Amino acid sequence: MLELQALSKHFGGVHAVDDLSLTVNRGEIFGLIGPNGSGKSTTVNLICGVLPVTAGTISFEGHDITSAQPHRAVAAGLARTFQNIRLFSHLTVWQNLWVAQGRTDGHESSRFVKRWLAGDSTARRSVSDLIAFAGLSDRGDEYAGNLAFGEQRRLELARALATGPKLLLLDEPAAGMNLEEVRELDERLRQLVERGITILLVEHVMELVMGVTDRIAVLNFGRKIAEGTPAEIQNDEAVQEAYLGSSNKA
Amino acid sequence: MVDFVQNTLDGFFIGSSYALLAIGFTLIFGVMRRLNLSYGPSIMLGVFAGTMIYIQLEAGLVFVACATVLGAVLAGIYVERICFWAVGRGAVLASMVSSFAIWMQLEELVTIFFPERTYAFPPLGDFSLEFGPFFIRGAHLVMFLCAAVLTVLLHLLLYKTRFGLALRAVSENPLAAKFMGINTGLVVFSAFALASAIGGVAGFLIASADQQITPLFGLWATFKGLIAMTLGGMGSIPGAIAGGLLLGIIEAQSTWYLGAEYRDLVAYFVLFAFLVFRPGGLFGQRLATQNRLSMQRV
Repeated sequence: MLELQALSKHFGGVHAVDDLSLTVNRGEIFGLIGPNGSGKSTTVNLICGVLPVTAGTISFEGHDITSAQPHRAVAAGLARTFQNIRLFSHLTVWQNLWVAQGRTDGHESSRFVKRWLAGDSTARRSVSDLIAFAGLSDRGDEYAGNLAFGEQRRLELARALATGPKLLLLDEPAAGMNLEEVRELDERLRQLVERGITILLVEHVMELVMGVTDRIAVLNFGRKIAEGTPAEIQNDEAVQEAYLGSSNKA
Repeated sequence: MVDFVQNTLDGFFIGSSYALLAIGFTLIFGVMRRLNLSYGPSIMLGVFAGTMIYIQLEAGLVFVACATVLGAVLAGIYVERICFWAVGRGAVLASMVSSFAIWMQLEELVTIFFPERTYAFPPLGDFSLEFGPFFIRGAHLVMFLCAAVLTVLLHLLLYKTRFGLALRAVSENPLAAKFMGINTGLVVFSAFALASAIGGVAGFLIASADQQITPLFGLWATFKGLIAMTLGGMGSIPGAIAGGLLLGIIEAQSTWYLGAEYRDLVAYFVLFAFLVFRPGGLFGQRLATQNRLSMQRV
């Protein structure tokens, strides 16, 4: 579904992402892990079109999206959340979802004016469903800036879903969460997969990654050092070395 | 006392046109966080388009109004493409300086094609109303009504439509807006065209109240809009309205009590007083964070 081929991003002499190739299959949760500064966030930013790539290609459902503008990537069915929350804090919960709703519906001219002026009842219902999914049913008219941290994280996830994605990129969604919240998130991600959404999960919190993912790729210094099921990754020597530091280097 | 109330009335009505100019500035500043110094001159170009079809073709008022708005929108789009699209996203100073350069360019262009100092502009509402001791010029009444209707329409657009929601989202966080599938370039472009159209209406109303037009109108409109926006609080539309009305009233009072030659002096004095003692403007508190944001980016 998503295919990165020999993707590289250099900042001057720093090879933030170096010759990275990986494939995310439809319907799976794919984990991308690695120590701090290993190039995970850069990879997400390359896929979404925030940063121009130095070399390599990105294809999504067979279409080349290597240098696509972010809003084009969203229209193609790619949505993301941010590592540090970026909600529209001066808009309400409902408006945050409403502004994002149905971005993949296309732009049929017959519905265009209506869509932009008021939207239709199906669209409104899908927003209400998402508010319920995020567990924010009684908070719909609250300004996003007034929500608690955990609620903001849930709203960010719901807002990304509102665009109607096929593939969801989650950039450290569990950062700052307690164990109970991580368990809830785990449950939500499984529900999304059941709905037919594919997930690329960039994460530090191992409880989440090891439990929920189908396959994992490990990055270190911008290079992929391992790929496999959670069990294989946990027993991989190169991975343990990257995380714990090798004894002869120390 | 009668004089004071009469001045306040006059100032209020004229101030409604300043409010429109300030709203246009605010829209552009709100979505781009950048100042467009060429805003006034692009309106001036529209007004000259209006005066041209009035003089050359003896067109009616409606056509003159359409030509003015159309001219202002086209000039506004030209400014956006050059100063805010072609000049990169991060280059705040470069866009401001280039908007100054485009200002000079537009002014030169107009003085080449319109070498006389002043040109006639068709009058609007050549009547007047009297309420007891008070007196209202018809042109000013029409000016106020148009400004009020336009403001209500803009409010509906910004707060009741998804386009308005997208515009507010872009204004708050352009990056997140992109990832919600919003074509931010298109939103900025539309905001510019919208601001220019509002400016075009303001230009038409002012020029037809004065019944004449000079190439200095661009400078004048940029100043009035900028001062009114600053008085009200940068980035706030209610602030722009309040700032415009306040500026109109200040000008009317100082013209009456001190004389016309002191009018602008007093207005600048009030501007500096605001910048020193209340830098956020009338509607400043709520926008404290936004102001901090704009400071950071400049």
